[in-house]
Amino acid sequence: MNTHPYLRAFMAGTLVPTLVLPLLLVAFLVLRVGLQVTFPIERGLIFPMALVPAIWGLWNILWELTRDRTHLPVGVHGAFLPLLLVPAGAVIATQGGVLTLGANSITWFNAVTVPYALIAVFLAVGMTAYYLAWKYVVGFVNRLLGIA
Amino acid sequence: MNEHDEQMKDLLRRAVPPIDNVSDAARDLWPVMLRRMDEHALRGPRAVPWFDWALGGALLAFAAVAPRTIPVILYYL
Repeated sequence: MNTHPYLRAFMAGTLVPTLVLPLLLVAFLVLRVGLQVTFPIERGLIFPMALVPAIWGLWNILWELTRDRTHLPVGVHGAFLPLLLVPAGAVIATQGGVLTLGANSITWFNAVTVPYALIAVFLAVGMTAYYLAWKYVVGFVNRLLGIA
Repeated sequence: MNEHDEQMKDLLRRAVPPIDNVSDAARDLWPVMLRRMDEHALRGPRAVPWFDWALGGALLAFAAVAPRTIPVILYYL
């Protein structure tokens, strides 16, 4: 199956965030409609619903394009993605009012405060989650679709 | 048409199989996909290295210690 490898790579990459979308929608409905939370959470849905799936797909295409030269395992390749996504997501969240930059810390959704000193820890957690997701889920779908 | 052309025609016929001979089963990719899924399932959790178990455990521990960060993690998935 050697046809359209980049299309298949894109589809394999978008699978995980697409599966998470219903969870986000449920969380949104529970918080906003069920619990009547006044904070405009929907502004925070733009990034995960509109951009993250496409970025995952493009990142998988990049892996397919470069793996012959880099020989990077797909898990390691995926672990680098938060280095791009975390600042991009932070910029969009700041513009949407979901993320507030303070003197000593940042505050997400008016609820989660992360001191600047702990951002590196947060990034490491994100890279770990991405490593596992890319190695086991994206890697599995890649093998299934005949990419890897 | 000279002898060279005839030879070329004969070579081409042998190199490219007739389209009618390609069976439907050869184009049905679903059984191949099912077999691959079964192969992966058979390997099971024993194929996962200890390092990945440790990373998964560390992630769960982090979520248990700081559950308020879960929405932020989901924001990036």
